[in-house]
Amino acid sequence: MRTLLKIVLLSCISLSAWANEAVLDKVNLENDLKSIERGADTLMGACHSCHTLKYVHYRDLLNFGMDKQKVEAWRGDQPLDSALVAQMSEADAINMFGKAPPDLSLMVKAREGGPNYVYSYLLGYYQKPDGSTGNHIYPETKMPDILNSGGSTEGKQHAEVQAQARDIVSFLTWVSDPHEAERLRLGYYVIGYLIVLTTLLYFVKKQVWSKLN
Amino acid sequence: MPGRIVEWIDQRFPLTSFVKHELTGYPTPRNLSYWWNFGFLAGFVLVLQVATGIFLAMHYKADVALSFDSIQHIMRDVNYGWLLRYMHAVGASAFFFVIFVHMARTLYYGSYRAPRELMWWTGQGLLLLLMATAFMGYLLPWGQMSFWGATVITNLFRATPFFGDQIVIWLRGDFTVGDATLTRFFSLHYLMPFIIFGAVLIHLVALHTVKSSNPSGINLADKDNIPFHPYFTTKDLYGLGIFLIIYSIFVFFIPNSLIEPANNIPANPMQTPNHIVPEWYFLPFYAILRSVPNLVGGVLAMGLSVIIFAFMPFLDRSRIPGGARYRPIYKLRFYLFVLDMFILGYVGYVPPTTQTILIGQIATVIYFASYFIIPFISVKEDAWLFKRGLPPEVMALIEKEALDKEERKQKRLRRQGDIT
Amino acid sequence: MSNTSSEPISEQLGDGNRRDFLIKVTSVVGGVGVAAACVPFVASMNPSTDVLAKAETEVDITDIPAGGVRTVAWQGKPVFIVHRTPEQIQSVSTTANALDPVPDSQRVQHPEWLVVVGVCTHMGCVPNKEGLGWTCHCHGSQYDDSGRVVRGPAPKNLEVPPYYFVSQNKIIIGKVA
Repeated sequence: MRTLLKIVLLSCISLSAWANEAVLDKVNLENDLKSIERGADTLMGACHSCHTLKYVHYRDLLNFGMDKQKVEAWRGDQPLDSALVAQMSEADAINMFGKAPPDLSLMVKAREGGPNYVYSYLLGYYQKPDGSTGNHIYPETKMPDILNSGGSTEGKQHAEVQAQARDIVSFLTWVSDPHEAERLRLGYYVIGYLIVLTTLLYFVKKQVWSKLN
Repeated sequence: MPGRIVEWIDQRFPLTSFVKHELTGYPTPRNLSYWWNFGFLAGFVLVLQVATGIFLAMHYKADVALSFDSIQHIMRDVNYGWLLRYMHAVGASAFFFVIFVHMARTLYYGSYRAPRELMWWTGQGLLLLLMATAFMGYLLPWGQMSFWGATVITNLFRATPFFGDQIVIWLRGDFTVGDATLTRFFSLHYLMPFIIFGAVLIHLVALHTVKSSNPSGINLADKDNIPFHPYFTTKDLYGLGIFLIIYSIFVFFIPNSLIEPANNIPANPMQTPNHIVPEWYFLPFYAILRSVPNLVGGVLAMGLSVIIFAFMPFLDRSRIPGGARYRPIYKLRFYLFVLDMFILGYVGYVPPTTQTILIGQIATVIYFASYFIIPFISVKEDAWLFKRGLPPEVMALIEKEALDKEERKQKRLRRQGDIT
Repeated sequence: MSNTSSEPISEQLGDGNRRDFLIKVTSVVGGVGVAAACVPFVASMNPSTDVLAKAETEVDITDIPAGGVRTVAWQGKPVFIVHRTPEQIQSVSTTANALDPVPDSQRVQHPEWLVVVGVCTHMGCVPNKEGLGWTCHCHGSQYDDSGRVVRGPAPKNLEVPPYYFVSQNKIIIGKVA
């Protein structure tokens, strides 16, 4: 019995060890239009040259309520219906980095840890003794330290990088599940309604059954 | 006017008498607890899945180049497409949850006993159909988990003697899971629910022949049966309300809790995700598969673990009705079995390590042992309980069942005597 | 089964109004819920946002030469954009079309730009540009350079879609300013 207990305990420990391979920072997203728009701005400057967001169109940004002039500036002469396609061709990117940069439309949903993962990854860069950069969260990454998080570890600069990463994650979170806000809002109404209906049904049931006893 | 229409129909079709006899007036034991709500709930979820599925199929494209994109089209562009898809995805889990509870109730109260063996076996068939439908539906989004799940499960058929490899290729219509696999899975995923409807009908015809079991395990006198309407319509609807609240919490607030993150990455036949797991409802069986360190053995063990339920009417030799109600040892066995299922589920979820494999193997042995000991414990338990004494109505029923059995035997003998 | 006597259930249960009221309220609330639950299903069959995005087409008309025609797709239909020459404008100011009489000035926003849906009003074929005006090869209907029908069987002039000039050389079809 004692050995069995030991095995159970050990396996629980091994499970938690596996779940936390790398410890993720927790990010508190504001999830409002302003921070999502700021994130789009940063992303269009920092990420868009290599990364595509194939399920996001310029019209989606407008429909969401982003500033029209900004969207016009981002899209240039591309039609409103066009997706956010990387400026660099995939072949060039493979030449440069050795593999194609992943699509970002679903990045937040596609990683264990969601927003926390992407945030920690963006801030996970550090400078190695030999001068190159590494990443704590995803050591095999080919992406350069685009926000320079490895080079700005303290003070005002660090806070700025954190804010930028948070905005990018806000944008990517919205993009991965664009109807989330609508879903939550509708959810409160639906559950509120169901509670009323179920309460009524409870009393109907009670009244019908009371005749039996 | 409606009265005259009904009258017109009644002369040609037994509408009123059918409704009265099988629906509104259907005699139902008054002591049914809320555990008896789950059959109705399963029927409701089936309808819900068919409805959302039909509307999703209007936007879905079964083609390896298009299906992942078409899901995103549904999630982003189609009006309320996100709602339909989340309802369908959560609905699959809800279906299994409801069915598992329904089965657990049957096992606990011994509802599989004579004369309800056919109910239990049609139910077993429904479980297999449901599993097949869920498995094929899971391939359709064409994400990493879809692809690798289908790859692993179709590979199970390699255990077939002599033709293993050919069968796997035949199932897939391709050397790997590919376009041919996706289109046939879509076709069958759309077909299966209608077969399930048919099987449900058989399940219900059997139910209306043998009538519902009840928590006492004793066939009730007529005075203890009450009409289905309004008593059980209101009770089922109240239960449905509770179910819908829980279901909606999942659909609206945590819909992604049941979708593996890796399934948001398009299928890539060149790279397996680090940690592949089946959907939660397959985990215990998957753990049994992994616990046997041999391909054929593992597949056989898993197959047996799913259909072993069907043997319950043979394994349980007890003459005492009511399942766990009057039988403490059987009750203990039931709870141990449920606990074992949870342990297997946990083992199926975590990546295999030496400890988890060992736990899984122990749990697998317990799983099967818990069935194989039933014939012995039921006989021993009966002897002990008869000695200790049982409620008179239970004893009366046991005696009546024994008499009926004896009478049937005499009749048979007489018939044989007449012929000779 | 002693409870299932022949009298209706409502009478068996007695206790009139309060119960009736409760059941009525519950039925109404439940009915509203069922109706509301149908909304997403019905709505999902309406055009999705990517389809709606094609409801408006933006066209840059800079490089259409005088006398030239550009055919663009708008909501899946062909739209002819004609940069009319003075001769063409002259020709439509004098044409008398008795079938569906409308002055040319009511069919254009700037005389040198004609925008019409290129679908014959007879049976829905796409007419061909031939000399001044169009000819539909399905049944021989003819239109002038204002898109007005000059010979049957087509009953009506080519439809003018809603459009507006965003700037000198850019129009949006599908919406009025």
